[in-house]
Amino acid sequence: MTDALVLEGITKRFGNFTAVDDFSLRMPVGQVLGFLGPNGAGKTTTLRMVMSIIYPDAGRMTVLDHPNAAEVKDRIGYLPEERGLYRKMTVQETLRYFGRLKGLRGPELRRRVDEYLERIGLADWKRKRVETLSKGMSQKLQFIAAILHQPELVILDEPFSGLDPLNVDMLERLLGDLRRRGTTVVFSTHQMSQAERMCDRIVLINRARKVIEGTLHEVRARFATRFVVLDGEGDLEALRQLGGVANAQITSGHARLELADGIDPNVVLRAALEKMRIARFEVQRPDLQEIFVKLVSGDGKMPRGADQE
Amino acid sequence: MDKILAIARREFLATVRTKAFILSVVLMPAVIVGALLGTHWVQKLAEEEKMPVRRFAVIDHSGKVYDDLLAQLAAFNAQRPNQRFELEQIAPGEASEDALRARVNKGELYGYLILAADAVDADGGCVLARKDKQLEIGRELEERINNAVAAVRLHESDIDPTKIAWLRRRVPISEVEAQTGKAVTTNVIAQAMTPFAFMFLMFMGTFGISQGLLTSLIEEKSNRVIEVLLSAVSPLQLMAGKILGTALVGFLLLTVWGSVGFGSAQQYHVADLVTRYRLTIAALYFVPGFLLLSALLAAIGSACNELKDAQSMVFPLSLLTIIPMIFWFYISQNPASTVSIALSFVPPIAPFIMILRICSDPDTPLWQIVSTLAVLWVSVVAAMWAAGKVFRIGVLMYGKPPSLRELARWVRYT
Repeated sequence: MTDALVLEGITKRFGNFTAVDDFSLRMPVGQVLGFLGPNGAGKTTTLRMVMSIIYPDAGRMTVLDHPNAAEVKDRIGYLPEERGLYRKMTVQETLRYFGRLKGLRGPELRRRVDEYLERIGLADWKRKRVETLSKGMSQKLQFIAAILHQPELVILDEPFSGLDPLNVDMLERLLGDLRRRGTTVVFSTHQMSQAERMCDRIVLINRARKVIEGTLHEVRARFATRFVVLDGEGDLEALRQLGGVANAQITSGHARLELADGIDPNVVLRAALEKMRIARFEVQRPDLQEIFVKLVSGDGKMPRGADQE
Repeated sequence: MDKILAIARREFLATVRTKAFILSVVLMPAVIVGALLGTHWVQKLAEEEKMPVRRFAVIDHSGKVYDDLLAQLAAFNAQRPNQRFELEQIAPGEASEDALRARVNKGELYGYLILAADAVDADGGCVLARKDKQLEIGRELEERINNAVAAVRLHESDIDPTKIAWLRRRVPISEVEAQTGKAVTTNVIAQAMTPFAFMFLMFMGTFGISQGLLTSLIEEKSNRVIEVLLSAVSPLQLMAGKILGTALVGFLLLTVWGSVGFGSAQQYHVADLVTRYRLTIAALYFVPGFLLLSALLAAIGSACNELKDAQSMVFPLSLLTIIPMIFWFYISQNPASTVSIALSFVPPIAPFIMILRICSDPDTPLWQIVSTLAVLWVSVVAAMWAAGKVFRIGVLMYGKPPSLRELARWVRYT
């Protein structure tokens, strides 16, 4: 098995509304995939289809080498977007129950429950009812419930939403552990900075369609040449007229140039040397946030040249 | 299977641990026993309550009854020393009825009694006037007046009243079951109420408990636990586990109440009312009856997000279950009538009708027991099949609850 998850042309409609449209994805084993996209883009629907909670209208998928996640439920961990626990059960009962449902038994189950409760700092709460927990605590509890059985594939829908920075940090560390153990992780998020820190790969979905997919490096590389920054003295205004410059922001001694698609920054540098004395030159690496905003706030279509693998 | 058991276990524990359940198990029999003992006790208390002496004016136009009346009321006073009557003889013509009424209004008298001159010899009547309208005292007084007049008549005819009583003494009759010759309870009320008690037990065990399925499903939907569950088990496993869990709760309830009933029937010498046979029949009908109801409720619960939506969908079902409640007396008195037999084959209410019939008529034919059970089990399978389809779609539906027609479409097209 090289791919933990393969989606081919997955489509889901609710009445006249197409929630996911011809979505394809290939997810190598052991990597962390960030599933990005604005609200309502189709992230949750896609993840639910991966979990076989709902079924696609068209397309094929392979989950851990099976055509259907239902056959390998015990090898998958899932944290849904809508958090829910039994309010009247105690913390310990909750974990033991979900552990049992995922096929854990006996002393092994009890040992893991205790171990994880210790790690997330809820050991003192294990006999307390879930309804007495704070929101952050119950979210951590549910996260543990999803990974207690040490699944090969973990699917997390917005795992960080609503957590304070301390808890975000703890969750990131837990995710880091999973990754070191070779677990394949898919998580959806709005937070680009998080995706940048955590992910090997990202996929961006907007208005039901995939916009971009690849390793973090690949995605950045596609946009890396879009901006160059120059500091120095000379006729900076003249930079606007250079070939390949689509847009420019110029202040005294500083220029930020947006390049047209397919323009080599080195060519721009060579031309700029003739106009000015350069103190600093930088090809700016856009962060995901910028890529995200750019791709999503436009017409949702791929920029030219970015849609090839 | 393991997962189904895990779900069933949680469902069972979650219900059994609630205060409502513990109360219903313990409290229900306690309330029934309490109500029975309570009325007895309250009545006794009422009889012993200290009341001011009630004074009666008596105008005896016949002139021969007063002494016997005095004796009768003395006997009453001896029985209830706290609620004595006192008589005051007034000679005919000494006071008018109006004057007596005036004394009643002043509070001097409780009432008055005017005996006609021919009360003893012919059918001359008597006027009894009293301040209150208590039924029991009224009956008591009428009885005593009649006794007094009869005593005078017997005396005048030279007949010894004790001899009359001796001749009219009752023959002791001990009733036994025609088939077995075993003694049966002669307490008519206990006998008549037993089928109802069994039906009520079944009713609480099935309808009372399976409602929990509805609430727990809606809770799981509204707090979204359902999605986590479905990531671990299939919808059908979930449904099966929940139904199994609640069925066990119902069975526990039935077992506790059944044992309490069996034990106390032995204790109070009415063992023929709560027999092993009847309990076995109850259990036999409980299982398919419960499964049928719970399949329907699981389907409804899965399709709804709010309890009130679910309740309005359950309403037609509740209407149907009222039938045994309304007709229980008719059915238990006419267990072999055409109507009773016909109702025995209506699936959701068959268990209640059959338990009523079997408790009232030990001769209910075996073929009817077997065929009604068969009808029940066939409908259980059909209901489970349909409920499974609705459940799979329903559990993930949020928003407006579907109409019955939509539900039917889910069953047909999935």
